[in-house]
Amino acid sequence: MSDVSRQSRISSMERSLTVLQVSLYHPTLGSAAFANVPRQLQHDISRLLVGRGQDAHLRLQLPQLSRHHLSLEPYLEKGHTLLAFCLKVLSRKSCVWVNGLPLRYLEQAPLSTTNRISFSGIQMAVHIEGGASLEAFVCSFHFSPSPLIYRPKAEETDEWENIFEEEPPQALGELTPGLLGSLHGSSQTQTAVSSQALEEDQK
Amino acid sequence: MSNFEDADTEETVTCLQMTVYHPGQLQRGVFQSIRFYNREKFSSIEVLKFGRNSNICHYTFQDKQVSRVQFALQPFKQVNSSVLSFEIKNMSKKTSLIVDNQELGYLNKIDLPYRCMVRFGEYQFLLEKEDGESVDSFETQLILSSRPLLQENNWPPQNPIPEDGGYSSYLTESISPTEMDENEL
Repeated sequence: MSDVSRQSRISSMERSLTVLQVSLYHPTLGSAAFANVPRQLQHDISRLLVGRGQDAHLRLQLPQLSRHHLSLEPYLEKGHTLLAFCLKVLSRKSCVWVNGLPLRYLEQAPLSTTNRISFSGIQMAVHIEGGASLEAFVCSFHFSPSPLIYRPKAEETDEWENIFEEEPPQALGELTPGLLGSLHGSSQTQTAVSSQALEEDQK
Repeated sequence: MSNFEDADTEETVTCLQMTVYHPGQLQRGVFQSIRFYNREKFSSIEVLKFGRNSNICHYTFQDKQVSRVQFALQPFKQVNSSVLSFEIKNMSKKTSLIVDNQELGYLNKIDLPYRCMVRFGEYQFLLEKEDGESVDSFETQLILSSRPLLQENNWPPQNPIPEDGGYSSYLTESISPTEMDENEL
């Protein structure tokens, strides 16, 4: 067998990895908050720890963040072949908003195909591109210069910089194109995205 | 005395009790690494792993037929609940994990009820949760059962089977006490 044909056989046998496209934004610190975040991170199927701690897989430089703030854990829904992800809050002090829902310590929620997550001033958008591999997955990080999550009627708030801490991001308005351009701001859309994710996985 | 009176009020701790059984537990020593009846305390953000690899797993089985990591248990909180719940995830590519009558494949997970039977291969686990006030930590306690935990495995094969297929009550063995007339023995 020639080297070229052997290489193509090996490539076809390797399974594509699930990719989490992760966009990050912080309103005041900007990219300084993400100084320890690599462009890409490959991880096995154990949970991915996000936090301030040295042993966190995704380390974020914010003093108000817990050492282990949240985890993203892959699993398989029964009957499905693509990895799903569950976000669990590990911080005792802070709330994590996941697609408009507040989660507290030890509470968890499955992620949809596209997700908006906010915690301790950080905005994180996660888009899941399914791959066949059940051995590992990849996080691909992007640093956004502009907010990822908007309130549609910003003029009604007095303190723009505090809205993500104190109140939930109720809807998505104009967003950074590419990653979240398909989302429209309504609670029904959130449900539709979750259903869409399940339908795409079952195809 | 003043330390006792001034100390913070202790919270009760959720306890996950696991009664285990394997038909070859005596001959093969599959549970020799486990400290039975010992209560172990864990942080609620821990993931407890069970399997053959002692470097990764909290509880290890001395059995080459067990996967390096067989399954994982972790606590979580249901939204608006004040007590800890637990979920179990199958980490074995080779063996299904059966939780009561639900079969879990690789990376499938399920929430555990207060009491349930978990099985893989010939291993049987009866898991029972006792709620506590604390959400920061929980305890586990493993107990070794000398008899099978499943009803169908309680039929001793050497006993004669009646021709009509029926079984008298005195032939059954269960782990809970049953009323019996001593004249039936």
